[in-house]
Amino acid sequence: MTGPGIVAYVVLSVFLFSIGAVGVLVRRSPLIVLLALEIMLNAGNLALIAFSRHWGNGDGQIFALAVMVVAAAEAVVGLGLIVAMSRRRVALDVDKLTTLRG
Amino acid sequence: MITASWVALFAPAVGVLLIALARDLISKKQAGYIAATSVLVSFGSSLCALINLLGEDPEERSHSSSIWTWLSAGSFKVDLQIMVDPLSVLMMLIVSGVGFLILSYAVGYMHGDGEERRYHAYKALFVFSMLLLVQSGNLLLLLAGWGMVGLSSYLLINFWHQRASAVHAGKKAFIMNAFGDATFAIAIFLLAQRVGALDFGTVFSQAPEVIDKSSVAAVVIALGLLGAAVAKSAQVPLHTWLPDAMEGPTPVSALIHAATMVTAGVYMVARTHVLFELAPAILHLAAVLGAITLLMAGFIALVQTDIKRVIAYSTMSQIGYMFVAVGLGAYGAGMFHLMTHAFFKALLFMAAGIVIHALAGEQDIRKMGGLGKRLPLTFRIFVIGSLALAGIPPLAGFFSKDLILAHALAEGVIGPILWVCALVGAFLTAIYTFRLLFVVFFGKPSEHVEGHLHKERFEGPFAMMWPVGILTVLAVVGGLIEIPGAWHGISNWVEPVAAPLQEPEVWMEVLSPIVAVALAVLGAGIAWRLWGTQSDTPARLRERLPQVATALEHKLYWDEAYDRVFSVPAQQTALFLRRAIEGPIVLGSVGELGRSVRALGGRIARVQSGLLRSYALALAAGLAVIIVVFISVR
Amino acid sequence: MQPVLATLAGEIIVWVVWVAAGVVLLASGLAVILFSNPFFSALSLILNLGSLAILYLLISSEFVAAAQILVYAGAVMVMFLFVIGYLGGRADAPWAGTHRVGKVAAVIAAIAIAVEVVVAVGIDAGGQLSSSAQITEAFGSPRQIGELFLSDHLLAFEVTSIILFIGAIGGAVLGSSARRRDRAAAATDEQEQAAA
Repeated sequence: MTGPGIVAYVVLSVFLFSIGAVGVLVRRSPLIVLLALEIMLNAGNLALIAFSRHWGNGDGQIFALAVMVVAAAEAVVGLGLIVAMSRRRVALDVDKLTTLRG
Repeated sequence: MITASWVALFAPAVGVLLIALARDLISKKQAGYIAATSVLVSFGSSLCALINLLGEDPEERSHSSSIWTWLSAGSFKVDLQIMVDPLSVLMMLIVSGVGFLILSYAVGYMHGDGEERRYHAYKALFVFSMLLLVQSGNLLLLLAGWGMVGLSSYLLINFWHQRASAVHAGKKAFIMNAFGDATFAIAIFLLAQRVGALDFGTVFSQAPEVIDKSSVAAVVIALGLLGAAVAKSAQVPLHTWLPDAMEGPTPVSALIHAATMVTAGVYMVARTHVLFELAPAILHLAAVLGAITLLMAGFIALVQTDIKRVIAYSTMSQIGYMFVAVGLGAYGAGMFHLMTHAFFKALLFMAAGIVIHALAGEQDIRKMGGLGKRLPLTFRIFVIGSLALAGIPPLAGFFSKDLILAHALAEGVIGPILWVCALVGAFLTAIYTFRLLFVVFFGKPSEHVEGHLHKERFEGPFAMMWPVGILTVLAVVGGLIEIPGAWHGISNWVEPVAAPLQEPEVWMEVLSPIVAVALAVLGAGIAWRLWGTQSDTPARLRERLPQVATALEHKLYWDEAYDRVFSVPAQQTALFLRRAIEGPIVLGSVGELGRSVRALGGRIARVQSGLLRSYALALAAGLAVIIVVFISVR
Repeated sequence: MQPVLATLAGEIIVWVVWVAAGVVLLASGLAVILFSNPFFSALSLILNLGSLAILYLLISSEFVAAAQILVYAGAVMVMFLFVIGYLGGRADAPWAGTHRVGKVAAVIAAIAIAVEVVVAVGIDAGGQLSSSAQITEAFGSPRQIGELFLSDHLLAFEVTSIILFIGAIGGAVLGSSARRRDRAAAATDEQEQAAA
């Protein structure tokens, strides 16, 4: 295999995951939270594909494709919720959505 | 034939679904017709199966078919499996045939009841459960049918759920039957452990090889099965639910508590006779319990004043005969009596139903009398039913009862004793049957009767009368299928499945009927002397023997005894536990514990801020910690 | 050129592409979460996804790379941009409103996870990850993925299609019910105003 080894890809994927996690944890706009979630999912995908290449086994790629599908579905529902919220004039701020308070 | 049997099994289930799904789309009467039609389909399919079986050699008349595996664990496998052989086809014909007649009768009988649909659906459900019971090809499915008939019986006994007594009766029947189900289950567990299979073919061929005769396992298995049979068939000591079950509508009593369900115990003993024969003592115990029941129920029936309860005790008594028969190994005779009993007892119940209907729900025979002139057709029907029950030739009961007597005489050790018991029972049967007949239909019309039935000749709608007519014919000619000493239709039919343990000789088949008929006529004469003429003998007898009369009126104190032995101690224990343990310990400590937990919960609830991001942060922090743990404990 | 030189040149090119893609990946990822305007965030995410696709190509996963571009950059991100456009692309103050402690804790937790995983890989799996399996030309090709999907992973394939279907229905339901409630809410608002 030419280029950097699998470890490099895994490390890259972990950093990307952490960036996404910070986005989810810190940003208040649900839109950005969704975008950051996509980053986290893609970080997972990168690791999956790297390992798939490492073992020479296609199953990891299948898994990554399934993750993509789930991410697409999640984006549809998430965006639908955001649009519905904005139509009902609910503030687009995850800190203000505290109905689940115990 | 196999297809026909599957159709027979599932047709009533389809009927139930149709009624349940159609709800208000169909009228109440249509619901009744759907139920009756579905059972008629069953009957037709059963006839097909019968005809197919008739075309085969007697030795090859056993087929089983399974459509899917219900559960499998290793080599242990239970299929959804049915068995088509002479025994099950006979039961299918009785259940679906008599069931169809009674369901048709019920369309007229239940007319005007607010919840008719539910009634018809339950009734069809019962027929489905009963067919499952008699058709099942393995013991587990038999237990499923066993439980389901218990359930539908429970639903139908307290069909009039506004009546507290009906609800209590339903519960009582259910609990007593549940006891039987439990012993059945124990027997099945033991069998599964010993034999490793539950389908009839394997069990009956393997069991004699792996279980020693009269060993503990054999006795426990037979005892468990007997417990179930005794509970379902209302034999001593688990019989007290049957008289109370008369709280249900009369067609229910006719179908479930006379013709079919209560005879399931007899069928089960005949079906699993191989297992019983491994423990002959238990088989004899069945016969002895049957004899005790038939005598006791006969005595109690003498003093009961509720028309349906008299017939109910008579049912117990007649099932006692069947238990004597199967307990002695005369399976064909038992099944024969089961069949004729289904005919004439259903007939009696339906006639009683007409009487009750005509008198606006009155069931107390002391308020009846002189109905013979007001309900002439019903009167004749009742006479035929009574004669058949008392065993007067040439009606159905004569042949079947006397076949049992002949078999009793043929059994060496306990046979003669049982023979005498059965003869006394026949004598009692004649007395209580004719007492009922005379009190209800003879003499002067009482005030109550005058109030409800002056002149009116209307006995019942056509819908109620034609099934009664068919059953009357069956009660008259049904016995001719087997004539002791001449030819043995039923015995030969059942023989490939359950061969009798003894063959009565011809003199036994001749002697028994003569004595029995003489006793029956004597009983009828006594009944006429006591209740037919306007004598005061019954009252004087009562004065002479007050304890006996009271004891019989209290049904020999079985209910009171159960109350003392089980109910009261249980309540006392519960009360004691409530005062001594629950109050100070449970309520005190647990109450305090509860309060502190609630306070803690209140504090913890504040953590539930509803802030999405703090939850996510907790997740991330948790992940970070867990990874550290994984790395360090690696 | 000599074969050795050709291999060396290939190695160098791959390294250069890898470093470039990695840098773009992390930078665009940071940009997503740092831009206050969601429009720019979304654009950065497209860049991010594109560089990921390049990385996939480097490890012979051609089909996934193509799907990445088509599905993500082509479809999902268009949807995002569309919604952002619909909402007006308002900028929010990305770092405001949260407790300082919370922010610091979040960053610490994320860095901790990253470091821990790197450590775990380094001490635990590093040896196993040093040499990769030999692969054939077919690895990662549409043909291979298709065969896997329709044989070993048929159930997964069907389940994902059902998930997509449910997602589509969910989106439609959310949109339509929101519109109905909007009208109802608007009607009550008008009534209240009229009453006032």
